[in-house]
Formats: sequence, C-alpha cells, structure tokens
Amino acid sequence: MPYNDIDSEPGPLRRPLAVSFGLHLAFALFVVLYAAFIHRVRGESWGGGGDAMGATLVSAIPLPANPVQTTNVLATESKGLSKSEPTVQEKEPEAIPIPDKNARTKVKPEPVKTSTQRKTETVQPESNQIPYGEGGPVSGPYTMSAAGGKGGFGFTGSGGDFGSRFPWYVQAMGRKIAENWQSFDPRITEAKRVYLTFDIARDGHPSNVEIEQSSGVPAVDQSAIRTLQRISTFGPLPSEYSGSRLSAEWYFDPDKK
Amino acid sequence: MKRCLYFFLPLVLLASAVGQDWVRGGTGLAAERIRLAAADFKPSTSDPKNADLSKTFNDVLWNDLDNAGIFDLVSKSFYPLQEPGQPSDVNFTAWNSPPPNTSMLAFGNLGVASGKVTVQGWLYDVKSQASPQVLGKQYTDTATTDAVRVIAHRFADEIIFRLGGGVTGIAETKIYFVSERTGHKEIWMMDYDGANQQQVTHLGSISLSPRISPDGSRLAFSSINKGGWEILMYSFDLNRMVSFPRFGGMNLSPSWSPDGKIAFSSSRNGYPNIFVVDPSGGNSRRLTNDKGPDVSPTWNRKTGSQIAFVSGRTGLPQIYTMEADGTNLTRVTDQGYAVSPNWSPSGQFLTFSWMRKYGPGEPGSNDIYLMDAASKQWVQLTHDAGRNDFPCWSPDGRHIVFQSHRTGSDQIWTMLADGSNVKQLTFKGSNTQPNWSWK
Repeated sequence: MPYNDIDSEPGPLRRPLAVSFGLHLAFALFVVLYAAFIHRVRGESWGGGGDAMGATLVSAIPLPANPVQTTNVLATESKGLSKSEPTVQEKEPEAIPIPDKNARTKVKPEPVKTSTQRKTETVQPESNQIPYGEGGPVSGPYTMSAAGGKGGFGFTGSGGDFGSRFPWYVQAMGRKIAENWQSFDPRITEAKRVYLTFDIARDGHPSNVEIEQSSGVPAVDQSAIRTLQRISTFGPLPSEYSGSRLSAEWYFDPDKK
Repeated sequence: MKRCLYFFLPLVLLASAVGQDWVRGGTGLAAERIRLAAADFKPSTSDPKNADLSKTFNDVLWNDLDNAGIFDLVSKSFYPLQEPGQPSDVNFTAWNSPPPNTSMLAFGNLGVASGKVTVQGWLYDVKSQASPQVLGKQYTDTATTDAVRVIAHRFADEIIFRLGGGVTGIAETKIYFVSERTGHKEIWMMDYDGANQQQVTHLGSISLSPRISPDGSRLAFSSINKGGWEILMYSFDLNRMVSFPRFGGMNLSPSWSPDGKIAFSSSRNGYPNIFVVDPSGGNSRRLTNDKGPDVSPTWNRKTGSQIAFVSGRTGLPQIYTMEADGTNLTRVTDQGYAVSPNWSPSGQFLTFSWMRKYGPGEPGSNDIYLMDAASKQWVQLTHDAGRNDFPCWSPDGRHIVFQSHRTGSDQIWTMLADGSNVKQLTFKGSNTQPNWSWK
C-alpha cells in the first residue's frame, strides 16, 4: 500500500518538484537572456565609447601588427619604410600514408613544419622598423601636413588642433627647416627619411631634439639634428594658442633635393 | 564604468593642463616661397589726402614684401576686381584659386581724418577658411608721407616676422656708407631701400669704413686729420661727434662685437696689427703680432668669440680667422686677392670680396663670395659685373649690401644672399663702403 501511495498520490513531493523545475527553468532563461541581451547592452561601453582616454590610448599605441593584416592598403599612398613580403600561399599538406600498421614511430609532419618556419622568417620585422603600410605618420605624405597629429605612430599622445588652427606656423616651420638644412655628403645617394621629435617653447626655441627613427645613414641623421640646433627660433607661438609649448614630429627627406 | 572614469579623469585633466599640441610635417632640401598677395589698401574716409598717402603706403609695402626674399608675390593683374578693405569683404575662393592662387593675403584700409592717418591691416591665410587671420594691426600717426612710410615698413616687418620663422624684417633698418657727393668723403645714411639719404658727418676731410654699433646709438669710422688716421665716434643720441681715444699711428677699419667691444687695425707699434678696445676706448689689447699688415677685422656677429680679418703676411691679402683672444689662427682663402670680410648674423657664413686669379695675364674680376666658416666651402655670388667690394650682411641674414662699379661708377647695391634680386640703391656721386645696421 505505501507503494501505491507514494507513486500515485500527488503528495508533498510533487509540488516542490514542479516549483524547483520552474525555478531552474527561469534561472536558465535568465542566464541566457542576460548573456545574450542585457549583458550586451550594458557591456557595450566597456573599454571605450565615450571615454576619451581609452580611445586615444588604443589608437596611439603601435601594437605589433599582424603582417598578414598590414598588407591592407591604408588611406595613404605612403608605403611606409619596410616592405613585408607577399604572403606565401601554403598548399594543404598531402596526407602521408602510414607505411606500416605496426610501426610505433610517429611520422613527423615535415612539410607543415618547414612552412611555418618560412613564415616566421619572412614576417619577423626588425625591432626598429615599422611594419609595412604603417610607416611614418599615416597622415604625413610628401607635402606638408598641416593637420594636427592624431593617432598613428609613436607615443605622441593626443594631437590637439594646432595644425589646423595655425597652418601658416607649421608652414613657416617647414621653410625655416628647409632653409637651415645643409646638404650632407653628396656621395650619399640613398637614405630613408629621418624622423625627429622636438618641443617648441613659447618663444619659438626648439629643444629636446631626438631621433624618433633613424635614416640608417648617420651623416643624414646628424645633418637633421644640426639643422634644429642651428635654428634659434621658429618665431613665437601664436598668442591665440594657450599651450605652454608645441611638440612636433618632423621628417627630413633626403631624396627630395 | 564609473570607477573607470574616476580613475582616468585625473589623467585626462593632467594631460589637458600640460597643454601641448602636436604637429607633424616634413621637409626636403628645397624651400618653396610663400605665395602672397598684397591688395591695395582702400581709403576708409573721403579726405583728399587719401590718394597720395595710400599710393605711398601701397608702394612701400609692396617693395618691402618683394625685397624680403621669402615671398612669391602674386602680380596685381591677377587680383579679383573686388579688393577687400575689411575682413568681411574677403572672398576666399576668388583668392585661393587661380588666377591669384595665393595662400596669404595682406589687405586693409587707410584713412585720413583731421590730420591723423589711421591704417588697419590684416594678413589672412586664405587657404584656411576656418581660422584665416594670421595678423591684424592698427596704426595711427600724423598724416605725412614719412609717417605712412614708417607704418608700411612696420606692417611689412610684422608680416615677415610671422611668416619668416621669427626673423625680424629689415624694413626699418638703415645703411651707412661713404659718399663723395659733397666733394669730400663723408659718412651718409639711408633707409634700407635707398630712401631718405642724409649726411651724417661734416668733417671736410676723408672719412672711411663707417660701422654702426649693435644698439644703433654710435657710429665708429676712421678719418684722417692732422695726427693721421684715427678712429672717430659719432653719437646718434647726441647727434654730434663724441670723444674717442687717439692711439697714434694709423688706425683703420673699426668693427663692433655683439657686446660692444671694438676691434680695429692699428700701427701704433710699427706694423698694422689687430687691436681690441672696450666701448670707451680703454683697456686695449693686441691680438696679432706680425709684420704683415692686418686690417679689416670683423666679429662673428652671433657668438662674438671669433674675428676674421685680412692679412698680407704671405704677400697678397688673404682672409684669416682667429678666436677673440688671438689664438687658433686659420687661413681660410688659399689664393688670389681676398679682402673685406663680413660675418653673417647667424655666425655661419663669411662674405668677402675676392679676386681669385690675380696678377699679370690673369684678368681677375673682383667679385663677392660666400664661405661657410666651418667647412671653408665657398660660392661666388656676383658674376661678370665689374669690381664688387665691401659686402655686408643685413640683420636678417637674407641680404647682402655691397659696392659695385658695374654701372661705371661706384654705387651701393643690395642682393639676396644667394646672389639674386640685385638692386641699385644709390645713383648720385660715388658711394662706397656700405654698412648695414644690426637691427
């Protein structure tokens, strides 16, 4: 009798079971919904969005780029400084028939290994070079760039709008530098651009001259540094500009003689 | 999220408090000139004197900008018919596209009212329509031609200062020179463009090699009197001669250092050697010690730590340099007949007059040369144009004034420091030995 009672009777266990099942279901539903919907809504602003600091940091730090991706052409004609080789089209390694059922030694997948080796050899960029397509200031083509420095290469922080507010000052800087840049040994026929960074005080005096990227030819680097040492002033910064100084990243192009 | 904001907010504030913008750019070896249009200033009142004064103003402004050597002035025939007199009149597209295709535009207005002239001038970067104004100035002075000339010079200098990378323009500088037009060789002065020529000394003897002091207050020159050649001093503060010690012997070719000391050639010990004295003439020291005549010292105008001079110790005169204490003597010319050195304001270049081939059978011509003082590389600036001598740098380092015989008489000429844009400044009598003021 007690048998029957337990099985058939809608006793004290049935309701708790139903409640438990319902609650579990509700919880599972909640988890799914939360993950799929609510979390997405709330999590969207994570690490970016309106936060200025996060955004500039991500765009300004030169992450070691995946060479496969950097073959993408950016919005500039500048090819950058070093060129990565075209990606090697790998063939599917052919299946190697197992010679003997009883052979215990593992067959090494040699073709695959060689292909990965080649890949690492070709893509490893020099530690002091910029990957292909990201060379130099992305917004800095051959002509003078009057735009404020934003994002791009280096540790150059937030840009500001000096370049767009006072393009004439940036142009005057360019002329001043060009006037004071003396040519180097004429036997040097091939040299890359050399990138310098420096600060300009309010009175126009340049200081903190540093090579950001060498041209590879010491004489050219020297001539660029000497140019800035020779310049005593670029002229006082515009009085409408409120900053205490102006930072500049400037390249010297030895090929544009 | 909020905590994140609180964490980063101080950093963001700090970054903006430092207040430092970044600019980027690049340079090849060639500098291109700025295309600049200078529209005629419009009359802002209906006074009858307006026409004369605005013509003077427009001419002087145009000449100053043209002489600056850093502008590619857009010919007035390309200008739109509607020339602006006020910032609101500027039609950007008419100026920044062909035919004018200018990047900078100087414009403004000029008006006479009750004996006073008021000039408003602007400089606009017409390629950057969002924030075009580079410069806005207003000047008021008495309504005379001279005052308007000064206003035009000042406005031109402001433009050159802004666009020329902080180098002050030379529109208000003076040139001192020797002129024989009264029958005696006297010291004269004029504006840098040849205007306002006036006599400084009235000694009635022979005065040579005028040299203006760095602050422009005193003029040293050598003059002959009963005792022989002596260094004399004229004060522009007092507008008369002031006393300066007489050293005896033959004293020639004074030269001011940036801090006011005077180097000159004196033969008081027998042979002409280079001496240095304080501004008052005391504390004299001898720098060279040899038989060969040493004359025409010139200081490195930037550092004041070097002197270039002419010496005939090996025969024909050659240019030498030494430290300001007489050490480290170096000969910089290797041949011919080299005289009249002058050191550039940047301290980088020497300019001098050189006859590279000298002697019988060598039809040498006397030309102006430029030499990099460190590397001794030189460039010839004048060619096939008679005897050229006594070059002297302008304070902006972009021009050289010199004496040339190319028209058949000695006159003062200027050129850009690359030898281009040669202009004659004097026409009357014989004018020699120009010296450009320091500012």
